[in-house]
Amino acid sequence: MFDFFAETCYTVAMIAEETLRILTESAKYDVSCSSSGSGRRNAGGIGNGMPDGCCHSFTPDGRCVSLLKILLSNDCVFDCKYCMSRRSVDVPRATATPEEICELTVDFYKRNYIEGLFLSSAVHVSPDATMEQLVRTVRLLRTKYRFFGYVHVKGIPKADPLLVTEAAKYADRMSYNLELPSESSLKLLAPQKDKASLLAPMKQLQRERAVFRAEKRRGSLLPAGQTTQMIVGASPERDGHILRLAERLYRATGLKRVYFSSYTPVVQDGLLPCVQSPAIREHRLYQADWLLRFYGFDADELLPAEEDLPPDIDPKCAWALRNLHLFPVEVNRAPLETLLRVPGIGARSAQNILSARRYTALSFEHLKKMRVVLKRARHFITANGKFYGAGDMRTVRGLLAAGECAAGARQLSLFDAEAALTARTGEV
Amino acid sequence: MTYFFDGSKDAFLTAFLLAYRDEDAFLTAGSRQLALGQQSVFVCADTQKARKCEARLRGFDTACMHDLDMLLRSGEDARGQIAFLYFRLIAARRRAVRGELAEDAVSEAIGCIRRVALEAHRLKGFVRFMECAGGALYAPISPDNDVCDLLLPHFRARLPQLPFVLHDVRRAKAAVWDGAHAFTAPLARADVVLSADEEGWQALWRRYYASVNIPSRRRLQQMKGYMPVRYWKFLPECPAQTADALTTQNASPARCADAPLPPHGSAR
Ligand code: SF4
Repeated sequence: MFDFFAETCYTVAMIAEETLRILTESAKYDVSCSSSGSGRRNAGGIGNGMPDGCCHSFTPDGRCVSLLKILLSNDCVFDCKYCMSRRSVDVPRATATPEEICELTVDFYKRNYIEGLFLSSAVHVSPDATMEQLVRTVRLLRTKYRFFGYVHVKGIPKADPLLVTEAAKYADRMSYNLELPSESSLKLLAPQKDKASLLAPMKQLQRERAVFRAEKRRGSLLPAGQTTQMIVGASPERDGHILRLAERLYRATGLKRVYFSSYTPVVQDGLLPCVQSPAIREHRLYQADWLLRFYGFDADELLPAEEDLPPDIDPKCAWALRNLHLFPVEVNRAPLETLLRVPGIGARSAQNILSARRYTALSFEHLKKMRVVLKRARHFITANGKFYGAGDMRTVRGLLAAGECAAGARQLSLFDAEAALTARTGEV
Repeated sequence: MTYFFDGSKDAFLTAFLLAYRDEDAFLTAGSRQLALGQQSVFVCADTQKARKCEARLRGFDTACMHDLDMLLRSGEDARGQIAFLYFRLIAARRRAVRGELAEDAVSEAIGCIRRVALEAHRLKGFVRFMECAGGALYAPISPDNDVCDLLLPHFRARLPQLPFVLHDVRRAKAAVWDGAHAFTAPLARADVVLSADEEGWQALWRRYYASVNIPSRRRLQQMKGYMPVRYWKFLPECPAQTADALTTQNASPARCADAPLPPHGSAR
């Protein structure tokens, strides 16, 4: 039965371990790990897309490993202040060949280590030269290596638009990182980049996707869309400003996702803070972002432009406390949109409530049995007319914040199994 | 009365017919300590009765056999009774009850099904293949639930040209794709000769895993929430070691003692 274990030997060119270390160490600060959104079919080779994405491992920093995140080169001609690959620092440099990247991807993939490739690069020689190498790599991967797994390509700002179009033919997702939430911060910290050089290719790709769809061509162009990333805490912009920017991007460029990356001081520079931006800030931004994308909230409802999200309670709680006149709502009657606005009730719980209440009038006992988390929700709902909340805003706020603090003593409020799930997504 | 059955679908359905009207029925696929004077019966599968029972239940709920399949895959001791109470409710109400989560029988069953599905989903990520000398892939797994054949279609769709074996070492069975056929077979032990490069790729993967970690952020609890420790045994990246070795950042991550397989080793 297992005769295919019979011995035949062959060897392939493997990337050097040191090259791999250099090229992946600098790529890891890109927080996008998602491998979702593409249902690319296997057409006689290796790999396919998994529309829901797939996590293959988790590192001790709590992050998911889904893609092989690697740079083609860390040898940069740009000089962004916050970056450890910038021209003016003396660090070991390495550049991989497209073949090395392809071999590595395919061999990792078939062992089920990864869901695909996240390919990025420092600006090596020039933007065009770099983008050409990126395109060569993904073309090779798709055509010669017949790889149909997930491919995310990070675009190089200021590269020729034709190269951008070419890369999009092979990638599942592309991203241009905005890096900083305002033009002035960008000018200060990333002098060779400007907002236009980042937004122009995003808009170009958005147009090309629209044309592709309109012409109803076979397959799809960038099935997993575009994303971007902003560093939070390296520059003075407030959460309110950042969320409004994210909201505009979702609406104007059809972005799939905006990622936030807590600023980590990897280099010293007078223009940069020397402390790590607190992880809780990034966490709250993800929660608020989730509310924008899936729960029908507007940034205006969540906070004013010149304010930060409160660290002690999650943004949905904060909103609910400001709007106590809308609560409590009766779980047996409230429509889905209203249930989704109750702190502590997520999409799954809301759906379960909708489904179960068709058969019986739900009580708190029922909700508990259905594993609806009532710690926060009880202050905002009635079940069959009964209310078990604290009633006035100050007490509720105190209770909620105390609950979060108790968990926060263990670093964040992320650590029970249920919360662990929400941490990745930001769902509240 | 306690009804013992062998865990198979037909035996369950046969037992179900017998136990349906018994107020104190307890169905179990495992062993169970009986109280003094308690009656028990071993129910063998009766194909004819099982088909009859299946047809009746399908009449009430067309999708219920899928639920049964998932429930019987569960590794929980109570799976027989959970399934029994769930199907008794379907039979009593004469309709699908899936959405009635306020009912104990339903929430228990749906919870159990979800746990099985969750494990299958997780393993899509946590399975680690090793390349054998002939190019075939071999992955040992030890899941809580009987899910190895649930993973077959997933890997077959993405690796159509590569033969592979998913070996459930706990249940001594394997799900196999030989490049043309997918099947399951009993497999107590596999002798595997690894390819010349396998060790090298595993080392690169360990290096990658160690270098994408951000050592200044330590969130082990979160990591274990997503990736429970019981799955670490077969991961060549050796998460436990990377977690411990965080302090010596540049040290090359060494192979851990219980890494999947030594070259030319075997799994039992
Ligand atoms: S372009 Fe800027 S951020 Fe990118 S690698 Fe070069 S210096 Fe770093």
